[in-house]
Amino acid sequence: MKKCNQNIQNICDYIDGELDGSLCEEIDKHLKECRNCRIMVDTLRQTVVLCREGRQEHLPAEIENKLNDALRRKWEKKFKK
Amino acid sequence: MDEKELVKRAQSGDFDAFSRLITEQKDKIYRLALKLTGNREDAEDIVQETFLKAVDNIDKFRLESSFGTWLYTIALNNVRAHMGSRKKMTLKPIEEYLPSGHSDENTHTQLFDWGDPHQLFEQKQLDQIIESALAALPQKYSMPFMLRYMEDLSVKDIARILKLSLPAAKSRILRARLALREQLAEHFREKIDEKV
Repeated sequence: MKKCNQNIQNICDYIDGELDGSLCEEIDKHLKECRNCRIMVDTLRQTVVLCREGRQEHLPAEIENKLNDALRRKWEKKFKK
Repeated sequence: MDEKELVKRAQSGDFDAFSRLITEQKDKIYRLALKLTGNREDAEDIVQETFLKAVDNIDKFRLESSFGTWLYTIALNNVRAHMGSRKKMTLKPIEEYLPSGHSDENTHTQLFDWGDPHQLFEQKQLDQIIESALAALPQKYSMPFMLRYMEDLSVKDIARILKLSLPAAKSRILRARLALREQLAEHFREKIDEKV
């Protein structure tokens, strides 16, 4: 890879481990030589890690109970029980 | 009982089968809506509307996708309806998120290396930074990004749900990732500057 950014369209596949063969090797080689691109790849990888490790929210029980009641009413109306 | 059988039973009026189909989906749709809207009340409304519409349309579901994918499609339409006119940040073209040259050249701009953000912020603060960064993205970018990295859907499935070509879905995921990276870098740099 002679220039930075020329493989940018494939960078998500590279970071996510979904890029095969010579293109992957080309990017690996470039990253060894280019600090900026290493930082870009590392921080793009961390961006997803940080988004994934956020708190695991659950639908509040009160809302879920209301939803279940509303769904049952709608269901009974739809199927005329 | 597999999903196909549960769907068939639900379509013939079996509420218990429908309940089993949606049990695991409620939290998933809630989390997705919360991340896209950044607002609990909006997310709760979107969950309710999504599952009520699923009841309305259960007989139209043709098993061409998984039941979860079908629900995502309904949920994302509800998110769009809720959030349609709200102001979001404008994303730049891809090349403007990238460093201007090779590190070995004299003219390059050094990219900021943020290190370990857990050394800068408590987890709770990081969660808030991430939530507001995601909520600031226009939905056309945040939706494919979240489906890809939080719901682990394939780019092919995302393209189908959002009615995009494969390259368009890939490109939106990349732009969202670059824009989020830049927002996070700004937060982390500010924090480091404060410490100095």
